[in-house]
Amino acid sequence: MPHKPPTKEELERRKIVGINEETITDVASSDYPLHYPGEEHSWDIDAFRRGFSIQFHHNDPFEASFSLIGIDASIANAFRRTMIADIPTLAIETVFINNNTSVIQDEVLSHRLGLIPFKGGHEGLHKFLKWWRKPTDETLVNSSYYDYNTVSLRLEIQCEHNDKAAPGETDPTKLYKHAHVYARDIEFCPVGRQDRYFSGADTIAPVNPDILIAKLRPGQEISLSMHMHKGVGSDHAKFSPVATASYRLMPVINIERPILGADAEKFARCFPRGVIGLKKVTAKEAAQEGSGYEGHEGEVKAVVVDPMRDTVSRECLRHEEFKGKVKLGRRRDHFIYLVESTGQWESDAIFLEAVAHLKKRARDLEKQVVNMVR
Amino acid sequence: MPKARTKKDEAIEPGSDIVMDEVPTSHQPETRDGMSVDDDDVDEEGGDLEMDENEEEEEEEEDVQRVRILPGSTPTAASFEFLNEGHTLGNALRYIIMKNPDVEFCAYAIPHPSEAKMNVRIQTFEGTTATQALEKGLQDLQELCDVVTDKFVEARDKFKAAA
Amino acid sequence: MSREEYQIPTGSASASVGGGAGAGAGGSSSYNAPAVRDYTGSGADGGTMYYMCGDCAVRVPLEKGAAIRCQKCGARVLYKERTKRMVQFEAR
Repeated sequence: MPHKPPTKEELERRKIVGINEETITDVASSDYPLHYPGEEHSWDIDAFRRGFSIQFHHNDPFEASFSLIGIDASIANAFRRTMIADIPTLAIETVFINNNTSVIQDEVLSHRLGLIPFKGGHEGLHKFLKWWRKPTDETLVNSSYYDYNTVSLRLEIQCEHNDKAAPGETDPTKLYKHAHVYARDIEFCPVGRQDRYFSGADTIAPVNPDILIAKLRPGQEISLSMHMHKGVGSDHAKFSPVATASYRLMPVINIERPILGADAEKFARCFPRGVIGLKKVTAKEAAQEGSGYEGHEGEVKAVVVDPMRDTVSRECLRHEEFKGKVKLGRRRDHFIYLVESTGQWESDAIFLEAVAHLKKRARDLEKQVVNMVR
Repeated sequence: MPKARTKKDEAIEPGSDIVMDEVPTSHQPETRDGMSVDDDDVDEEGGDLEMDENEEEEEEEEDVQRVRILPGSTPTAASFEFLNEGHTLGNALRYIIMKNPDVEFCAYAIPHPSEAKMNVRIQTFEGTTATQALEKGLQDLQELCDVVTDKFVEARDKFKAAA
Repeated sequence: MSREEYQIPTGSASASVGGGAGAGAGGSSSYNAPAVRDYTGSGADGGTMYYMCGDCAVRVPLEKGAAIRCQKCGARVLYKERTKRMVQFEAR
């Protein structure tokens, strides 16, 4: 028996994850070959290219929001995971403490220094700087630091009494000099060729100079030097280039039966502002038989204006008035990404790098598979 | 001040042996495609040459075999073990391989979260081997990444121009 | 896993390993080489230890075998100063 090709409504229905009062339905994707008899769902790069699109919502240097439409969750998740865990970043790795008489313990201070995000010249960071490997022979560690794999920083600060303070002053920042140690007090000490890549605006500096590292009182001193190395987020979170990269699925709100009058206003309040709008019922709509608008000309009805602003709290499903009138869902193949960079990479560059990294991994494994068979 | 600081004055030529040995293949800048989208083809050829050299020089890092067939596999029904891979590649690869009409069954599993090992099982219909399906899957994944990169750059430039 | 045993400078026969906590996340190891030892502020013979008085916070030089008292205020509780040696930490 010949199979009927799916209708447009059927295709749309397949793309939606159902969100009900207490359950989520149709979660897994079903577009595999042989799942629907008679239909072709094999991998076709051209069909993918036709169906895939990207829309940008905003693209600030360190925060970008864009939608990937027409891709599967496993791939979208692979991009997200790669952004968080596999993009190399420069961060403080070793701290050499010569003197620390502050109340912050050495290890706590080192931990805090490691978490400070730094920025620098892009060419220097991504092309010039290479990875540092700890030599297996411990005695060679001190000769493994070169200008192309280590960046050296310094923090030297002493707290003293401020003679010029007004008598009766209680604010420690005015009573003492250098009572608060901020990230901007860290000095970059270029070595070798680093001057070429990291000078002027490109110098290695903390992204947020106002990060408070420690507090001191007169007589206390912090004198230490630090080495920065490249690392990845899977090793330690300080190496993650994003203050998280996340995605959500595009919400879908279907108003099946009309919601009118005071109900419509209540309906609009169940969603964040801007999701639901109110429109007047026109004479033409009221004239349609069986539409539910008969006799309600001039009243307001609820319309979906911008479902992307919805946070899917399912509030409307909790009220009796709307039972059977609204269906909530999410589009299974529409991913709204939010990439928030910590400042070393630009957000769009992070995504591109993640895609390139995944491709590289697949390529390297392909070579290995070929090797394995031989 | 640690002794280390004085050593850094030695200038090392970029491209010399020491530089290459220090770096894992996955992060050598010469083979990084993402940074120069236009020169993709050029970079790939150059990168392959570099990696071949390294594979001959260095036995420890680059030559580690990260994929193997698990025992008990037949040509059409095989399990593969990947080292240092997790859900990121596993789920993506599983999806792409399932899109292959010659594949009867495909699944991935991570035997224990403490070990970075990932198993992929592929069962194919007569006509193709599991290894071929795996290779095709990896190739399809690379094509997919190319399309995503192209569309992303296009969309971003369009957005910037419109802003 | 130290490859240089630390010797007490006054020439006592015992050898002790200097160093902080070994294993664990906050691993530290003293960079142990006598050549880097900082002798500044230690007194002419290089063997006087300075201690901090518990009451008046003054730096009190004390020889080996001397009476344990603060010169200024006579308090008998003295604290040892932080080591002059460089300590290394992983920023993790």
